[in-house]
Amino acid sequence: MEAPTQPLLRLRDLSTDIALRRGTVHALDKVNLEVRQGETLGVVGESGSGKTMTVLSVMGLLPSGGQVVGGEILFDGRDLRRLEAKELRRVRGVEMGMVFQDPLTSLNPTMRIGAQVAEPLRVHQGVSKAEARDRAIEILRRVGMPRPDKIVDDYPHQLSGGMRQRVVIAMALIRSPRLLIADEPTTALDVTTQRQILELIDDLREEFKMAVILVTHDLGVIAGRADRVAVMYAGRVVETGTTADLFRAPRHRYTEALMRALPESAAEGRLYSIPGLPPDLSRPLTGCRFAPRCQFATDECRTGDVLLTLDAAGNGHEFACLHPVAEPVAITASAPVAETAAKASEPLLTVRDLVKEYDAGGSGMRKTAGRVSAVAGVSFEVKAGETLGIVGESGCGKSTVGRVVAGLEPATAGQIIVDGQDIATLDRRARHHMHRQVQLMFQDSYAAMNPRMRIDSILTEPLEIQQVGDAAARRARVSELLDQVGLPRRALERYPHEFSGGQLQRIGLARSLALNPRLIVADEPVSALDVSVQAQVLNLMRDLQHELGLSYVFISHDLSVVDYMADRIGVMYLGKLVEVGPASQVVRAARHPYTQALLDAVPSPDPDRAPAPDTTIRGELPSALNPPTGCRFRTRCPLAQDICATEPPLQGGTHQVACHFPLRQEPAQETSAA
Amino acid sequence: MTTTPHEEEAPVRGMWRQGLEVFVENRLALVGVAIFVLLAGFSFLGPLLYHTDQVHTDLTKVYLTPGADGHPLGTDGVGYDQLGRLMLGGQTSIVVGLAAGLLATVVGTVWGAIAGFAGSWVDAVMMRVVDAMMSIPALFLFMLMASIVTPTVPMLIVIIGAFAWLGPARLVRGEALTLRTREYVMAMRGMGGAGGRAVRRHIIPNAIGTVIVNATFQVADAILYVAYLSFLGLGVPPPAANWGGMLSDGLSDTFSGHWWLLYPPGIAIILIVLAFNFIGDGLRDVFEVRLRRR
Amino acid sequence: MTRYLLTRLGQALVIVILVTLITFLILHVLPGGAARAILGKEATLEQIAAFNHEMGYDRPLWEQYALYLQRLVHGDLGYSFQLNQSVAEAIAQRLPKTMVMSLASTVLAVVVAVPLGVVQAVRRNRWPDYTINALSLLAYATPIFFMGLMMIILFSQVWAVLPPEAPQGFTLGEVLADPAGLVLPVVTLAILTVAVYSRYIRSSMVDNLNENYVRTARSKGLSEGRVIVGHTLRNGLFPVITLLGMYLPALFSGALVVERLFNYPGMGLLFWQAALKRDYPILLGVTLLISVATVLGALVADVLYAAVDPRVRLKAGRS
Repeated sequence: MEAPTQPLLRLRDLSTDIALRRGTVHALDKVNLEVRQGETLGVVGESGSGKTMTVLSVMGLLPSGGQVVGGEILFDGRDLRRLEAKELRRVRGVEMGMVFQDPLTSLNPTMRIGAQVAEPLRVHQGVSKAEARDRAIEILRRVGMPRPDKIVDDYPHQLSGGMRQRVVIAMALIRSPRLLIADEPTTALDVTTQRQILELIDDLREEFKMAVILVTHDLGVIAGRADRVAVMYAGRVVETGTTADLFRAPRHRYTEALMRALPESAAEGRLYSIPGLPPDLSRPLTGCRFAPRCQFATDECRTGDVLLTLDAAGNGHEFACLHPVAEPVAITASAPVAETAAKASEPLLTVRDLVKEYDAGGSGMRKTAGRVSAVAGVSFEVKAGETLGIVGESGCGKSTVGRVVAGLEPATAGQIIVDGQDIATLDRRARHHMHRQVQLMFQDSYAAMNPRMRIDSILTEPLEIQQVGDAAARRARVSELLDQVGLPRRALERYPHEFSGGQLQRIGLARSLALNPRLIVADEPVSALDVSVQAQVLNLMRDLQHELGLSYVFISHDLSVVDYMADRIGVMYLGKLVEVGPASQVVRAARHPYTQALLDAVPSPDPDRAPAPDTTIRGELPSALNPPTGCRFRTRCPLAQDICATEPPLQGGTHQVACHFPLRQEPAQETSAA
Repeated sequence: MTTTPHEEEAPVRGMWRQGLEVFVENRLALVGVAIFVLLAGFSFLGPLLYHTDQVHTDLTKVYLTPGADGHPLGTDGVGYDQLGRLMLGGQTSIVVGLAAGLLATVVGTVWGAIAGFAGSWVDAVMMRVVDAMMSIPALFLFMLMASIVTPTVPMLIVIIGAFAWLGPARLVRGEALTLRTREYVMAMRGMGGAGGRAVRRHIIPNAIGTVIVNATFQVADAILYVAYLSFLGLGVPPPAANWGGMLSDGLSDTFSGHWWLLYPPGIAIILIVLAFNFIGDGLRDVFEVRLRRR
Repeated sequence: MTRYLLTRLGQALVIVILVTLITFLILHVLPGGAARAILGKEATLEQIAAFNHEMGYDRPLWEQYALYLQRLVHGDLGYSFQLNQSVAEAIAQRLPKTMVMSLASTVLAVVVAVPLGVVQAVRRNRWPDYTINALSLLAYATPIFFMGLMMIILFSQVWAVLPPEAPQGFTLGEVLADPAGLVLPVVTLAILTVAVYSRYIRSSMVDNLNENYVRTARSKGLSEGRVIVGHTLRNGLFPVITLLGMYLPALFSGALVVERLFNYPGMGLLFWQAALKRDYPILLGVTLLISVATVLGALVADVLYAAVDPRVRLKAGRS
């Protein structure tokens, strides 16, 4: 069917080792891949799968101690491993370009943008300074930089993250490369910016007729952008195929598990979670590396080496699995929300007109620099047994709301009423007691645990502080907590650094449960975790909610996770709650233009889903130091009119919106609530 | 938990045990400990085995070469046995170094901790005082003090300790400021814990490593300061001795070819300063929890 | 930027005032009080009373301090009866010589330490790194006067190419007229400085080499040399500017020892002689001046740093 073009880049049995203080990690073991001119290859995998090491091996950018130890890297028919250093640098510098994950640190902080962008031209083509500058301006304009002739003389710290990523892309493109490698190019960016960047890469690929390797952990990003996909696990490619094939009918059990672990594909209100952890690559491994975590594994899988083999169907689909999936996996992209609807109608938590402001800069002596308006008049309720999700992009104030509700910071103004009591009116002792009701769960549990305390001390600490029970009772409670989060008793004698990310989140959850709180504020509790581990933690959180009748305020930037977890969702933008309502309605019938833009920007893991209409919001998030008057979104809103300079109130029944021109009217269903 | 059979469990080890393992891994740190033990043993236990008169001068036996007349390292310009004198001098150097280093660390830690915790104007005032004193070069300050009071061993300790605390003060204040904002302190406050508990359970245990590491470097510096003061003529007066003083006395003797008066104390100082630096580096590894990740 | 400069200037001013307060207090805790300290032990009671009245030492402390400050502002650092010379004059004769020596050794140290530190960082955890590290640790552990003596033995005795003593001139010109005599003192002072600087430069360079922007630079196909010189070196050396300022107190302490060892007629030697004779006006005057020089030096270094690093320079333009 396809024209049998010669692949531009072909990896043959590529193996890479990384020498560490203790032992060697075999990061890549006989990786085989190919990319053709003009196509996008998506490389997907969890952390430690080797996806980044693969592209770094190609680019010759391995970290110190890293070395390609076997195989071939064929670029345009030539093995890069055999080229002499100078030619190799030229090939990598001129014919390939790379975009990195973290735009904030990927640029030299003390070099002007123009000089950095044009450097490859100066070095490899001996272009004059003046011409290099002109070419830099030209390419910056091409990647959509506003006022490129001014920005060319700026320094990186003067630009936002999204803008810096555009600079990095411009830098890769100025050499008109034949291969562009993008390693998690949007992971550090907000979804709306992510969409802009991914679209840019797509457009540029067509314009420059490049091959693109898109490395990501996010199946959604791959589904929408790649022509073909390679799935990696534990240093190997386990499955490759066209995007449509692979997403519709994955064959490898790992790929299947990965897809079923996505919050979007939660079938019976429960996520499929892969048990265990990926293997330690510094040890010798035999057989299929996924076998220990695979429920279909047989002895055959554990003993013999399982190689990539072509699917008999003849569609170029390859996989390394002895017991492949036979039937297609459905990603519905519309999680049937388990409406655990709150039983009690009395609100457990009421937040009224919450305001939080910080002093800007001001170093002790003078504080006239202004105030940052982090949260500006936010009101919401959480009922007992209910989960309220709060979503928004970085800087919207969602974490601040969480910290104030959890009592870590005082509110500048407004009321926080827990169980009928305004916590501002409580005396010291009652406020101390209040912490039993509301607990916080952190994004990075490792940072939130004292590295010098053992797990038993960490779990006992809340009990000690609140003087609950005697030593024996506390010990019993700690054991009970460990059972609840599914960790062995041995964990008690260990220190936080001895646990993996997912285990640490369990311990973090156990600690926040210690005092039998009624409400847990979870601030991005799974953002740092891989999909499979994320599923474990999300399931655990839901199980415990049912078991203990907990309420959650679940804060996240990830709409699909919030959609899965929450009964109701609140959307924040620049310190304001712009929309709040039942999860299914907010996600599927958004009323605020910002919510809609946010939803459209989320990449869907369903390759069949039609690309969303171009509602992408333009421009940059305004400064919270001097936010726009009236509706704070109006400076970027496609629907904004003069009236938006006056502040729209949050209004409606169960699905409220703060907008003068809501996208939809609220469905009339007041009576159905019971 | 879903522990798979393939997942092996590392043995449970205590904090001390893990720390010791890291320390032992640093071979230079072990060398440092060995040098210190040897030199301390030489200085404090040596005189028990090797008796010499280090009080009365003997002008009949000046500048004896090593080996002569039962003096393995010879004698100095007033007839003291050089080997015995090295032992005596070592006692002073080690005692002053340890005591002054300790004093500086304690004073600096308290000062820095108060500044770091109090914050706002208290912090500003306290740190400006540190800045001001730090801008006076240490040796000038020591000499100024030494010219006012007569330098005895306790006095030397006080003088050096009283001005060497500035470094630790800055360090501890910085630690306090960062540790105060750590997420685990925030987590503790979220449980309703108060400031006192934060200091006791979280900040001190995490800052103590930095303080101890710095203390070893303070000891090394204090030993050097004693040497400098002696060289500048403000060390402990005879018959007391310290390595620095012996070294500076030896300076004037080298041109007459009395090498045994110069090199032994010089090498002794270098060794002990190196030893404390090695130990400090080893301890730094120990307190770096990161290095313990499997 | 302007804001930063003003804050930094204000801090420096506060520190200078505190330093004057410290010297003032030391003068008053001196045995027998300020008068006896200045006039010497032989002074009669009448002389002391007259002196105290003249200098205002019979007034309340704060008033005395105000007077002291007033005199300082007018450049009056006191009078040394032992030298029979005003302190300001005595210092003015020697200060340039100390400055020349310190500056020369700092320049030398930077010139040597930068390549050493860079080589260490680039070849980290390999033999060049270990060797240089061992040598600089050895230099740090050796008392500077012992080091200086070794230099004298090596270069004036064993291989007699340089004079063992610094040039003995009254003016700066006379000192500079004998450059050979300056070599040993300057080199001795520089050795310790090199040890401190190279360690610092190494760690600063290592930090920078691990930064993501270096990987970006490599991805452009730049040669390793160009990556280091064109990208890392500049960023790695910025903090060194601040180090130059921070290191001043230690540098002056070292200069004191070196001047004494080589008999170099600078501030250090003046101070040392004054200490042996308990000549307090000189001691306090020198202490005050050298501290002010330190504060100013640190200030200049910080301002320079702010001026060259765009991250600091352009901060104000943003928010």
